[in-house]
Amino acid sequence: MSDASQTLVYSEDENLLCELIGAAGAFHRPVAALVTSPSAEQRAAEAGANLVYRVEHIPAGTLSEDVLPTLAKLVHDSLFDVVLIGSTVRGRLVAGRLAARLNTTALTDVKSFTLESGSITIRHMIFGGGAERVERSLSPAVILTIGAGMFDAPPAQPGRKAETTPLEFVPPEKQAVLRERKALPPASVNLAVAKRVVCPGRGIAKQEDLAMVNDLARALGAEVACTRPLSEGLGWLPRERYIGISGANIKSDLYLGLGVSGQVQHTVGISGSRIVVAVNRDANAPIFEQVDYGIAADLYAVVPALIQALREH
Amino acid sequence: MNIIVCLKITPDPEDLEVGRDGSISTERAEWTIGGFDLPALEAGVRLVEAHGGKVIVLCAGPAEINNSKIKKDILSRGADELYTIVDESLRHAGTARTAAVLAAAVQKLGEVDLVLSGEGSADLYFQQTGVQVGERLGWMTINAVSQIEVGANGALAIQRTLEQEIELLEAALPAAIAVTSDIHEPRLASMREILKAGRKPTFEWSLAELGVADLPETIDILKVEAPPRVARKQVMIEGSPEEAAKALLSHLRKEGVL
Repeated sequence: MSDASQTLVYSEDENLLCELIGAAGAFHRPVAALVTSPSAEQRAAEAGANLVYRVEHIPAGTLSEDVLPTLAKLVHDSLFDVVLIGSTVRGRLVAGRLAARLNTTALTDVKSFTLESGSITIRHMIFGGGAERVERSLSPAVILTIGAGMFDAPPAQPGRKAETTPLEFVPPEKQAVLRERKALPPASVNLAVAKRVVCPGRGIAKQEDLAMVNDLARALGAEVACTRPLSEGLGWLPRERYIGISGANIKSDLYLGLGVSGQVQHTVGISGSRIVVAVNRDANAPIFEQVDYGIAADLYAVVPALIQALREH
Repeated sequence: MNIIVCLKITPDPEDLEVGRDGSISTERAEWTIGGFDLPALEAGVRLVEAHGGKVIVLCAGPAEINNSKIKKDILSRGADELYTIVDESLRHAGTARTAAVLAAAVQKLGEVDLVLSGEGSADLYFQQTGVQVGERLGWMTINAVSQIEVGANGALAIQRTLEQEIELLEAALPAAIAVTSDIHEPRLASMREILKAGRKPTFEWSLAELGVADLPETIDILKVEAPPRVARKQVMIEGSPEEAAKALLSHLRKEGVL
């Protein structure tokens, strides 16, 4: 990696594109952005991109992923050695295909990265968030994918212009034909945005007892989540309601665990909650090492008392 | 239609052990077929049931994947043949090398129309290997596919689930497709299928047989550790259930979370 080389950023999501420009600033060298629309060109310039490559003459009906051959040619011709790609569904496809063409590994969903003595070291999650892995790239060209919200976009400088280079669209050899596009139906629950979450675990003895949990959730204005065994094992609650590895990660103000033991497979999903509370009759349950407030008592006595106290207030 | 399904056999993430010092161990974990990969197998089996052909499963990894129980499990879920590529160097391979190995195996098998993979592996979930295999083969490559049908013209009619929209696409074969984990509920094997599984052919290839023994590694794994723990107040509330309930609500009001 030479100091003269540049970093290239690409995302079809304009907000994420700006965040990538912010992330690329850490390399302290020029940042170029690949864009396919005038609005993205403007956003990239205002976010501080030094150079913008604008793809032109894109045929109608082209999927945004079809930019891949143009991107690959740019990386090859201009000797980019670091490419940051927004980690969306489309971005992950582009990153994987570019990685295959460059015979390298795309380092995905990077939480942080450093550039030291010419090589890039990154940190990302494995085991569904149960662990983090630190890796050093051994490739001459490095592809990183970065998810939305991981890095800050630089403050926009309205009216700023960047040096723009038009780029001819390179048609792909193989293309899927778009037949139709429709909006996704909304999910029944989005735990990721819930303000308060009540979460029953294995300490709940029978499915009927969830009625009491639902009552408490209503009194608190909370969503009902669960641990994985209640969903995948017992089928008491749908899949989108379990928290943890391969399930939801919450960012609520309040998490209230009821009969949750505190296995790491579950607790990785609650680390983003501001206040964590647990009720469990086993005073030695591991969950109590990770709470702000704990009640070591029978949840079958505490839950009705909580409902009563909330009603009285 | 001949279909290859790539499955990753991994330590079960549910068995992950985290030490108090932040160390991570999978030593006591049971090895299983990735939960996000089984729907890909189900999708392949359903396509072959409807349109004929066969389902070949391809697994690459270290010696732990040579597990007769897991092999039988795969073959009892409708796969016709199983190929394993076993090499210690695949334990911590970057996705580039894994994809190169799988693509070499697909080429050696030949006469394949479709390569299916899951949404992401159960252990790493990088969501990369499937699409890299497709690109290395030079095939039509699509991810996040939530429905696959064969159209009248022989091309695939595909539904793809993005963050906020669904795309209906038409794609010519051969193709490599990574499916979503909800494309199909994986079947439970019937007793008849379990008995049949023991008689189905299994093969093992070495990296040398595939001509990929000396691929360079693209990553160097420096460290695996538990994520930093959030510091919590750890206040234990005593008293009768009624007293504890009132005390808790009073704390939560002070915290401003009610």
